Amino acid sequence: MSDGGGESGSKHQQPHTKRKFSGDDFSQAIAKVAVAQICERVGFQTFQQSALGKLADIAVRYINSVGKAANFYANLSGRAEGNVFDIFQGLEDLGLDQGFSGASDINHCLASSGIVRELIQYANEATDVPFAYAIPHFPVVKDRKPKSSFLQIGEEPPIEDIPAWLPAFPDPQTYFESPSQNERASDSYTEKIELGKQQRKMEMSMVNLQRQFSESGPSSFVHGDSSKEKKTVESNPFLSAPLHFEEKEVSSVVLPAKLSKEVALQNPVAKKHVVDNHISVMETFAPALEAMKNRFCESREEQKNIQLDQRPPVQFKIGVGKKSLVKPLKSSPQNMDGGKIDPWFCKENENDERKGDLKIF
Amino acid sequence: MNHNNNFQQSSDGRHDDDAALTEFLSSLMGYTPTIPDELVEHYLAKSGFQCPDVRLIRLVAVATQKFVAEVATDALQQCKARQAAVVKDKRDKQQKDKRLILTMEDLSKALREYGVNVKHQEYFADNPSTGMDPASKEE
Repeated sequence: MSDGGGESGSKHQQPHTKRKFSGDDFSQAIAKVAVAQICERVGFQTFQQSALGKLADIAVRYINSVGKAANFYANLSGRAEGNVFDIFQGLEDLGLDQGFSGASDINHCLASSGIVRELIQYANEATDVPFAYAIPHFPVVKDRKPKSSFLQIGEEPPIEDIPAWLPAFPDPQTYFESPSQNERASDSYTEKIELGKQQRKMEMSMVNLQRQFSESGPSSFVHGDSSKEKKTVESNPFLSAPLHFEEKEVSSVVLPAKLSKEVALQNPVAKKHVVDNHISVMETFAPALEAMKNRFCESREEQKNIQLDQRPPVQFKIGVGKKSLVKPLKSSPQNMDGGKIDPWFCKENENDERKGDLKIF
Repeated sequence: MNHNNNFQQSSDGRHDDDAALTEFLSSLMGYTPTIPDELVEHYLAKSGFQCPDVRLIRLVAVATQKFVAEVATDALQQCKARQAAVVKDKRDKQQKDKRLILTMEDLSKALREYGVNVKHQEYFADNPSTGMDPASKEE
């Protein structure tokens, strides 16, 4: 029987623990198991959860009310701690609505009370059914260790006004150095920011340099312009070829001017840049590069125009439907005016047409 | 304790009850009630009753156990009476409901005699079949 009671109790505890825990859950679960064991011994085979919970709740309330009544009678007789007779008195109070033998006698002895006799009889008859589980002592109270006072440590309080029995102060490092640490922290923070700014500046300059090199390097190599090479030689005296004894008298400014004149004849844009060659090499090159690109583009467009003219008109119609409206408009002025059309515009059209051609083929 | 016993002896002089009480209290030391000591101690401490004596805690445990057992016995009687009534009506359900189940219905009836009014809402259902019974009856 006791095993079955244990099983039913454990079965019941399972869903109970899944819910969120409150402070009294553990003791209520224990009460349910105990009540289930009692019910089983009485003769019940199974139970409804709600009925068992209700009965366990009532058992707990019974313990509570007995304790309250016993405490009340103990306090009534001027005692803080309870007594057997306080408990009996409390039990009598609780059993009043049930009734017991000798209840009508107000001056009856507590030891010979009907309640006590019934209790003794029950305890003698009932067989011991110990609780199914071993329970630790609960609730677990964590005892706090109070901070030792000045007297216990053996120190003297720093100020006379503080009595020695008060808890000692914490170590002075914990609170004396805190402001200085804060200052340091702030200083280090600002320093870090400044350092970061400096590093960022450095990185930015490095990035700019790299960008300049990446832009200038390949373009200069690709185009291989003689004027640019000469300019670099001029701007950087260490890269220039060693001068002869006779040439030494000639000013360095005049020499490039002569050379640049030849370049200027070829390319008027480059000439302009030679004049203000005191600017950095990249800046001077940039417009020149653009000019070069423009030139290349123009030349390419010319080639393409020629190709366009050569192509049969049927191919224009084969293009994508969207472009068919636009193309004849553009092609007709091209044929009419020719040079007037913006080279970039033409180029784009050309590209589109080429893409269309590619798609078609 | 001795002081109280002496007081009782002097006032009433009922030696038999006194002896029985002391014997009962000493027997509680070897008796292990089903309701564990820790539980009773916890709830007694919650109610404000403080006593270091284990015997008093056991006494409360025995009293509570007696109370619960009485209520359970009454509920069992209610259950048996109900089953006997059902058997007369329907012989089919006899085998199915032969098991003794602690139900709210019986418990509330038993508790009413002990001054506890157990009431629950009409729609309160322990399991899905509980709510189905009136519907099936209507059908």
